[in-house]
Amino acid sequence: MRLSAKVAAATAAVALLVSACGYDETPLPEEKKAVAPESKPDCETPDESGTDPVASYNPGEGVPTGPKLDEIRGRERLIVGVSADTYLMGSENPELGNRIEGFDIEFAKAIGRAIFGDEFETGRNLELRVITAAQRIPLLEEGELDLVIRNFTINSERWGCIAFSAEYYHASQKVLVGTSLADGDEENGEYHDPSDLAGLRVCAPTGSTSLSRIQDLEPDAITEPASNHTGCLVKFQRGEVDAITGDDTVLAGLAAQDPYAVVPEQQPLSAEPYGIGVNQNDVDLVRFVNYVLEEMQTGAWDAAYRRWLQPLLDPERDDDVEQPTPVYGR
Amino acid sequence: MTQLAAAPSPRMKPAPARSRQGFWPAPTGKPVGAGVEDTPSLLNRLQIIGIATVLAFGLLSALIQFLSYQSDGRAADDTEQLVRVQEIQSTLLRADAIATNLALIGGSGDPEQIADRDTEYDAAIARVFTLIAQAAEAQPADENALAALNVEVSAYATAIAEARSNLRQNWPVGKEYLSGASAALRADALPILENLVTANSERADDSMGGQHPFWLLLVGLAAVGVLVWLNLQLARRFRRYVNVGVAVAGVIVVVTTLVAAIAAWRADSQNDGLQDEELRMAVDQAEARTAGNDAKAYESLRLVKRGSGATYEPLWQESAEVVTDVADRSILDEWEAYVAKHEAIVRSDNEDLRGPALRVATAAGANGSNAPFDAFDAAAQKLVDDNAATTTDELRAGRTLALIGSLLTVVLGFAAAVAVARGIGARRREYA
Repeated sequence: MRLSAKVAAATAAVALLVSACGYDETPLPEEKKAVAPESKPDCETPDESGTDPVASYNPGEGVPTGPKLDEIRGRERLIVGVSADTYLMGSENPELGNRIEGFDIEFAKAIGRAIFGDEFETGRNLELRVITAAQRIPLLEEGELDLVIRNFTINSERWGCIAFSAEYYHASQKVLVGTSLADGDEENGEYHDPSDLAGLRVCAPTGSTSLSRIQDLEPDAITEPASNHTGCLVKFQRGEVDAITGDDTVLAGLAAQDPYAVVPEQQPLSAEPYGIGVNQNDVDLVRFVNYVLEEMQTGAWDAAYRRWLQPLLDPERDDDVEQPTPVYGR
Repeated sequence: MTQLAAAPSPRMKPAPARSRQGFWPAPTGKPVGAGVEDTPSLLNRLQIIGIATVLAFGLLSALIQFLSYQSDGRAADDTEQLVRVQEIQSTLLRADAIATNLALIGGSGDPEQIADRDTEYDAAIARVFTLIAQAAEAQPADENALAALNVEVSAYATAIAEARSNLRQNWPVGKEYLSGASAALRADALPILENLVTANSERADDSMGGQHPFWLLLVGLAAVGVLVWLNLQLARRFRRYVNVGVAVAGVIVVVTTLVAAIAAWRADSQNDGLQDEELRMAVDQAEARTAGNDAKAYESLRLVKRGSGATYEPLWQESAEVVTDVADRSILDEWEAYVAKHEAIVRSDNEDLRGPALRVATAAGANGSNAPFDAFDAAAQKLVDDNAATTTDELRAGRTLALIGSLLTVVLGFAAAVAVARGIGARRREYA
């Protein structure tokens, strides 16, 4: 009996040894840590107390000239940093051979035409270099670009790094919501102002002032960042957010891509004056751009607005939108 | 049984045991020191020790060989699983390479070309889901990781469908869905696959190292040592140099040990060879295929997101370096042909010559980058398939011998036990 017990124990040990070949479970990757938002260029706000941030350099009498303009004419190419995914402002049109077109692009063409005159050809004399928002200031500072025309808000801090033209469009921060929040049915919830965003999920690009501003205006709004505004539209279409906030021009482009998104009538949350970015040292080019902007007051600006922005921003044509009056004083 | 010396007279009484160190008995059948020690009891003890030793030898040696048999089987299974998860990895990136390239063709491209690429994409995604199901069945330890992977692949396929729907309407948001899907694939799905590849590589390596010639030799030597000692004890008391039964058992143990150890050593060498050659080749070419498809997807993404060359080209370079590092020389021609097309795309894109860049990136024939890349992809996959099949076939073929050896060792262990029993039994009969 004792022997058979020993045999049984030995058999069990052998069986255990043979069967002890199970593998450890394959581990799952560790949770990723949140990536810190892209750091903004460190621009030191210049000591210009009393200077309006939208004030630029006066083009003066006649056509401005200077070394930067000579350089551009010498190389026969104007290099402009633009967006290719901001619908209506600067985006590719696959139906036209992926040509980049939009409101911003009209200004690039106008400046190119003014520099090169009748000889101007878009393909030959104008290089539209697609850049991200984060590349706008660094590429201007490095001299890689002559101009940046990419829904670029003028502010004092940025004047510390680069120069701006006079304001060419007066944008404003607004809120895009689903059509259910703008169908006139108050019982179902309607968007009138930021207080209506309490408890709703609002998206804006990571680290943007739009996001912090909406949080200041309505602390109960749940902010949901995305990498950019189009990323917000993806979240909106997936039902991950209820609203998107940003410049009205950008929101108009988003609403155009989604029949269930709308930018309802509302008071702007902030002013976003758009300017054309130029390297700080190229004052002659800034003056020239301001000269071109003044020239556009005769109808070119209005045509560009009516073509690209009015159909979505002001379909009823009841707003008397005009080119901003230039402010000089630098 | 033939004895080497005459049997002792049955009338003789056993001499009492004497504790004399260094005593060597005279070669007669008379027990030495009779009367002092209880000889039958001693013989019983020695018989039990002898039988237990050879039985333990047989069982242990057989167990070691059986473990080797099992280990080779596991090595074949683990190798198959490793190749399977690597195929999931490369096929998933193949799907991404096709999806991003389809986005470049756009809704207004050649319908036949779009249909072909659509079919390829659908086939790649279907293959990924099939492989995930097979892998989950093959290796329970991978189940949780594969379940998580399944979720990520489903999310990817959904996002690609959304991207394509939007891109067909020329909405820029389609590009965001596409680039977001590709980024999520790399951020969420590929780390799971990397864990699966690492875990299964380790399992395959461990299983292939499952041959133990040293342990077989050690067990054999220990058994032989006990049998020699046993023989000395018997010789000391019965004046026979060699107990034939014990000697036969010793010969069985020595021969079995040598044969088993040599077989294990050969199998171990064969496994090392497979590990260093065929398996290494299969793993490397799968890695090259994965990196190649990764690069191809980056090439398309730089064109999908116009102006993002500075973002995607370094990533393309990184993946291309992996290909040149690990790809077999036999498929480098195909790769180099593709690289030449890629360089043409980069040149055009850097000069913002959008049309020429898109033409090379999407053209179906020899003028485009797709044909040479597809040739590289197919050649790499063939190398993976051929070498993986050789590895698993050889592992499975060799293990049958280990099983036969294991069973034979048990039988021989019993035969040795019978020999020991009969050898000592002969002494007991002499004494009686």
